[in-house]
Amino acid sequence: MTTTTTTVTETVSLDKPLPKGRSLWQLSWMRLKKDPYAIACSVIILFYVVVALLSRLDLVGYPWDAKVGESYGRPDTSSFATFLGMDIFGRSVMYKTIYGLRIAMSIGLVTACIAVPLGASMGAIAGYYGGWIDEVFVWFYTTLSSIPDLLLLIAISYALGKGMTAMYVALISTSWIGIARVIRGEFIKHKEREYVVAADALGASDFSKIFKHILPNVSHFLILNFSMQFMSAIKAEVILTFLGVGIQGLPSWGNMIDDAKLELARGVWWQLTGATVAMFVIVLALNILGDSLRDALDPKIK
Amino acid sequence: MFTFLVRRIIGTIPIVFGVALVVFVLFNIVGGDPALMMVGKHATAQQIADIRREYGLDLPLPIQFLHYLRDIATFDFGRSYATRQKISDMIMNGVGPSLSLTLPAFMLTTVVSVLLGLVVSYFRGKIIDRVAVILCVIGMSISVLAYILFGQYYLAYDLRLFPISGYDYSLTGRFEYLALPILLWLFLSMGSEVRFFRTAILEETSQDYVRTARAKGVSEPRVFLKHVLKNSMVPIVTNVVLEIPLLVLGSFLFENFFGIPGLGSITIDALHNSDLPVIKTMAFVISLLLIFGNIMTDLIYALVDPRVKLS
Amino acid sequence: MSERTAEKILEVKNLETSFRVEEGTVKAVDNVSFDVYAGRTTGIVGESGCGKSVTSLSIMRLIPNPPGWISGGDILYKGKSLLGLTPAEMRKIRGNEISMIFQEPMTSLNPVFTVGNQIIEAIALHQKDLSKKQCREKAIEMLKIVGIPSPESRIDDYPHQMSGGMRQRVMIAMALSCNPHVLIADEPTTALDVTIQAQILELLRGLQEKVGMAMIMITHDLGVVAEVCDDVIVMYAGKVVEQGSVEEIFKNPKHPYTKGLLNSIPTLTKDPTGKVKKNRLETIAGIVPSLLDLPKGCRFQDRCPYVIDACRPVDPELRVIKDDNRLPHAIRCIRDI
Repeated sequence: MTTTTTTVTETVSLDKPLPKGRSLWQLSWMRLKKDPYAIACSVIILFYVVVALLSRLDLVGYPWDAKVGESYGRPDTSSFATFLGMDIFGRSVMYKTIYGLRIAMSIGLVTACIAVPLGASMGAIAGYYGGWIDEVFVWFYTTLSSIPDLLLLIAISYALGKGMTAMYVALISTSWIGIARVIRGEFIKHKEREYVVAADALGASDFSKIFKHILPNVSHFLILNFSMQFMSAIKAEVILTFLGVGIQGLPSWGNMIDDAKLELARGVWWQLTGATVAMFVIVLALNILGDSLRDALDPKIK
Repeated sequence: MFTFLVRRIIGTIPIVFGVALVVFVLFNIVGGDPALMMVGKHATAQQIADIRREYGLDLPLPIQFLHYLRDIATFDFGRSYATRQKISDMIMNGVGPSLSLTLPAFMLTTVVSVLLGLVVSYFRGKIIDRVAVILCVIGMSISVLAYILFGQYYLAYDLRLFPISGYDYSLTGRFEYLALPILLWLFLSMGSEVRFFRTAILEETSQDYVRTARAKGVSEPRVFLKHVLKNSMVPIVTNVVLEIPLLVLGSFLFENFFGIPGLGSITIDALHNSDLPVIKTMAFVISLLLIFGNIMTDLIYALVDPRVKLS
Repeated sequence: MSERTAEKILEVKNLETSFRVEEGTVKAVDNVSFDVYAGRTTGIVGESGCGKSVTSLSIMRLIPNPPGWISGGDILYKGKSLLGLTPAEMRKIRGNEISMIFQEPMTSLNPVFTVGNQIIEAIALHQKDLSKKQCREKAIEMLKIVGIPSPESRIDDYPHQMSGGMRQRVMIAMALSCNPHVLIADEPTTALDVTIQAQILELLRGLQEKVGMAMIMITHDLGVVAEVCDDVIVMYAGKVVEQGSVEEIFKNPKHPYTKGLLNSIPTLTKDPTGKVKKNRLETIAGIVPSLLDLPKGCRFQDRCPYVIDACRPVDPELRVIKDDNRLPHAIRCIRDI
């Protein structure tokens, strides 16, 4: 009996290699490449980035505060500057919209680029070490998230003075919490898993366990959160500026919409249209790309 | 139930303390000299000294903080710098209009969105579902400001279906002035809400107990309205927790647009007047409301899910 | 009930169930046929992913669509096609004529309703002439029948207040509350402790004897098959590879896959001196092929120790090798071993 068993297992060999396994990233990339919406949205986002860069280099929409026509001049397709009409001072709404785009993109990018890594490392440390570190951390973020974002933002911009810096600080201090919470939860789950225990048994340091072993396994949350933070920062900036606690003296979309509040009754719709359409397109693109990323990275939720 | 409440309230003490600390640090330390902020650049030294004494700003910071905690405990926040009104009175006057706006708006939005979420997930994968998802994504990408501006302009100013702005404390007056803001609130939240509930409900429909119900011969509408809906209450309540902070944002925006004299308007006015005591108090009080809301949702969890025990 | 008079209740004819997946369409069940008789139990055996659960869900017409659908064949209940019924007619069959119990007693009961509520729902749906009070009495009676102690109070328990074995008893009470003619049990004991497993099987067999219903037992556990089944169908990669009476399959397995399955059961034998000897466990080499990437020819060829060149080009038909039973012994293999 024993002998036959061994011969059977020895003589039977697979004449075909096992199907090659594909990593999560490869699979996700394959799915994304096949998703026309994801590609279209990436193109739109790239376009916004390019316009923002060109505006930063004063190559497009410059200078935004020059008079290019009469006060409240109607949209006129004869030139790029007058395409979206003029505001009360005869300035080009098109140029203002482009400047607003530049503000929005830098707010979104800076906020997401700082808040996501910050939140992730805070969450990782709290979740990994646990104990009093975790308790202090949980107390801290529960406190911060008990203060409504808007009021925290108002308080911070009040404290630091209105402007871009206050806006960055305010948005980062509210937006790191979400990802920190998620990553903390994941770390608590993962640190008990076999692969981490194995790394521990092999003498891996805490640093290597956190960043080399666990973090890559939860990094898809970072990508998803990045696109979400980017979008919510853009939305938050517009609303804060509109409420008068954000950017002042520059044509942010929020300021343009604030101006438009009184213009609408006079039949001046173009400033509102310029700002809202520009904002709608980028937010829509980020929304759809976020969905595609989630479907690609985490296909079980649909 | 009672012990749960007591324990939960005791549990929030460190959080309330933390909120007070953050507010104090932001306004009294990071924000620079509060006295200077209040009187403006052109005040005399005597004026500044008077302000300092009146608000206790000449004391050491830890003492100031203790005083602040004492004020919180006695619900005595002093007087507004701009209007000289007692701040506790201002809050009492503001809570009514704010809640009259936010609570109906919030409930209407939740009920309508859950129902639509059920309908949409019932037709999962069909044309209705796809169109609804596309509409949701478009709806949630439009700026909330655009909804309010267009709504106020076309429905109130142009078509004169609603008053443009204002508020009345009588019941009918409230209804008259709040109808449009509440309607707009519903529309601007529906995109993200319906989509969230659709996902939550679809998640439930793939559970084993749904298959069991179908295997018993339960009809599809009943599967959704009985089995799935009751189970979806947990994610629905979770969403409520997430939405409560947005109520604050909504009340700020709508009160600003429609001239409703609620907490949001008071705060924005205070902000424009650099009325420090009022802003500080508002930040604290609204946070308290939020913490209270979270305790309420914990209770609701226990109501909708028999597995949750209040102990 | 005598074998000769047993009535044919359910006929599955050339059933084909397909699923659309990211990479294309797969047939999870491919040309499966079998009959089910009153008072008898048909076992469907195979590894996970072989299509046994999909077969049972197809009978109930509970294949989630999208992505799945029944793409061919027919299912006859008492001679009438189930596939031709309207959804409303099919609902009258489900839970009433054909019932089903599932593998996971933990998740198969609705967590937010009491078990009584869920049993009463099934009774009220199909026995409309009963009053609320009668439904409740019937539910208590069912709980008593499946052996739940003090059913009058346990009926108001929520599922999380019960153990796994209790929950499976509740599932059985629910499934049998309308006296179905066919009970489909999809791995009813897999998630349970071994001692509880035996009790549940005992209960099922006892209830079957009492009411004379037909049973389809889906399992990967040959021990369960030996204990409760009369006829056996062995499935592999969506197809039936061997069928026959339980005695034939266990005493005289002819398909290499069935032989492999039987050899992978731990056995104890006595050597000539009377000492108990533990036999070495055999395994089937390799893994189940992906339904997207099936070999041409016999689907078992890559794992088969008896494979010859003739196995590669064509998938063999099911051929009868011994016609002594209501379910003739047949195999999908060209070799005689």
